[in-house]
Amino acid sequence: MSILPSVDVVVIGAGAAGGIVAEQLSLAGLHVVLLERGRRQSFGETGHDELRSQRTTVLGNAFGPDDERYVREVAASTSGGQFRRVLPSEGEYNNIAACVGGGTMSYGAMAWRYMESDFRMRSTYGALPGSTLEDWPIAYQDLEPYYTKAEWEIGVSGQAGANPFEPARSKPYPMPPLPYNHEATLLDAAARRLGFHPFPIPMAINSVPYQGRAACIQCPHCVGFACEVDAKNSTAVTVIPRALGTKHCQLRTAAIAKRIVTNDRGNAVAVEYFQDRQLFVQKCRAVVVSCSATESPRLLFNSATKLFPQGLGNRNDWMGRNLQGHAYCGATGLFEQEVFDGLGPAARISCCDFNHGLPDGLKGGGLMANEFIRLPYLFSRNDLPPGIPRWGKAHKEFVRKYYKRAIGVKSAIQEMPVFESRVQLAPDLTDAWGIPTLRLSGHRHPHDIEVGRFVAAKCEMWLKEAGAVKTWTSLPGSGLSGGQHQAGTCRMGNDPKTSVVDRYCRIHDIDNVYVVDGSVHVNNGGFNPSLTIQAIAYWAAAKMVRDLKKAI
Amino acid sequence: MEMDRRAFLLLAASPLYAGPLVLLSAGEAKLVDALTNQIIPADDAPGASEAGVVFYIDKQLAGPLKRFRPTYARCIPLLQAACRNTSGREFQNLSFDEQADFLRQIEHGPDRELSSFFSLVIEHTMQGFYGSPEHGGNRDEASWKMLDIVDVMGGHQH
Repeated sequence: MSILPSVDVVVIGAGAAGGIVAEQLSLAGLHVVLLERGRRQSFGETGHDELRSQRTTVLGNAFGPDDERYVREVAASTSGGQFRRVLPSEGEYNNIAACVGGGTMSYGAMAWRYMESDFRMRSTYGALPGSTLEDWPIAYQDLEPYYTKAEWEIGVSGQAGANPFEPARSKPYPMPPLPYNHEATLLDAAARRLGFHPFPIPMAINSVPYQGRAACIQCPHCVGFACEVDAKNSTAVTVIPRALGTKHCQLRTAAIAKRIVTNDRGNAVAVEYFQDRQLFVQKCRAVVVSCSATESPRLLFNSATKLFPQGLGNRNDWMGRNLQGHAYCGATGLFEQEVFDGLGPAARISCCDFNHGLPDGLKGGGLMANEFIRLPYLFSRNDLPPGIPRWGKAHKEFVRKYYKRAIGVKSAIQEMPVFESRVQLAPDLTDAWGIPTLRLSGHRHPHDIEVGRFVAAKCEMWLKEAGAVKTWTSLPGSGLSGGQHQAGTCRMGNDPKTSVVDRYCRIHDIDNVYVVDGSVHVNNGGFNPSLTIQAIAYWAAAKMVRDLKKAI
Repeated sequence: MEMDRRAFLLLAASPLYAGPLVLLSAGEAKLVDALTNQIIPADDAPGASEAGVVFYIDKQLAGPLKRFRPTYARCIPLLQAACRNTSGREFQNLSFDEQADFLRQIEHGPDRELSSFFSLVIEHTMQGFYGSPEHGGNRDEASWKMLDIVDVMGGHQH
């Protein structure tokens, strides 16, 4: 065991949020150690391999975590009962990438702001039985400057004002949107005929050279892959290099956090982590946990002491609960003519007409957008209309005829948080370092499926209007959600009895431990969450800088 | 043993033979190859057999898909036994249409173990046929040529 001299802050997890916090603190002159369980990865290492991409993971996760050292268990059914082991490359593991940059290294890079109502769900819609639906303790207006900061610091291309449902913004996007592809051109006209309000999807992808990096070359290997030209704006190519440039931040990779060490007054004094099987104790004045909505609560559970017998931040049994992601739904349409032009990222057009304001008491909703390019293996599995067999001559003929004649329009439906959907420590299961791992259990709220049905029908209508000769919908399932949009397990709130962190992401009854990632989301909006995670990281970091500088 | 040797010689003599098997026995490989040939048959474009998908499955069962090894080891003889029970013959000795009929029975039949094994082979066949040639299948980019996306996919060499 090696004890390392104290630094100001240890940030655990170099992903969407951790990279930003490390950068902001080190720019302010604080000394930071940034721990990352994965490695630095480059395009050359992962390439264009569909079977290992973050979208399929059938031959393992190109960006980690790996099947050799990590394991979890999941409830065999929504009613609980038996648990079974799952590996990171299996869908039910609910993996999120483990590398420098985290999920942002291989994400699709949609960069959405949540809407005002997304922060006021309880006030907007009232209570829903079976759900812990609540307002956030912060409003869109609080986060707006930090959304703007994220868009400019990380780099987002988009068209301000093109989405009539977007809340007020203080600044335009720093880059114009990527051009429409063939699909988007077809869908744009169709949406306007239907009275929808289509606009280019905001993306954390360079449409023009930005911050010394290249513009997107529109290759098809985008979502699920590292970018060949670093035009995709992960934290690995933006804020983390800037943090290291301050000389105040050390990045330590392949560093597996074991627990946060607290003293008898209940404050954090160090983080224990493994590197090359050796245990290190990094002393510090504060800790930021940015490990994802599954791994952050795991670390906090594993940091239990006499003072915090159920884990840090878990006095009232709210930690690990309300695990949510999005209820994906949508429609696929087949066309007589070819609609595929091979240009990435392909997801180019969206409508927010059904994010809120749905009829029949439906709460929330979700964006609609055309799908990222489906590479051939995924197409062969996921885009079959009813009646086409899964194998044989008819299957092959379908794939052959329609691979270039199909468009998907998908939605990420905002989920109603469910208290029973949760992560806990597994009683008898550890990872390769002997650290207790997670068990996942719960179910999706049935309301999400009803909203999914409504929005999927709108997606189908859109495709029909665009000329699809055959269409069909896909609806959310009833099982546990989470996935790469995982959120909610360390809820932000004003009342310590019903939340884990305060409005600045600090754990309620601990002075110097913060959770900064999707865990703090009270709900997850009807949008991909990365830009919101990043806006919150800037918001929380600004407060941390004020507090920590004062304490020096 | 004798059976395996004969099957191996047959396989080795066929144009399918692309290299030594690393995990499957020759007899197992012959059956898996016949299954893949049903899952993605040849027409005027190559099918899974011509694209060497059995070598994808063999190679990956010795690697990232090793958790499925016991399933293959257990279910290949079970599938052959079910085939002999139904038809009195080995699967490979049935005509193409007889094989398809038998697999449809398995797919929808009461034996959950065999139907889920067949689902697994369907998955693995799609991966081997449509995925990158570097993993042992999709020989000569057969599926990408069929879909006319060789140019689009041309980043696999990285």
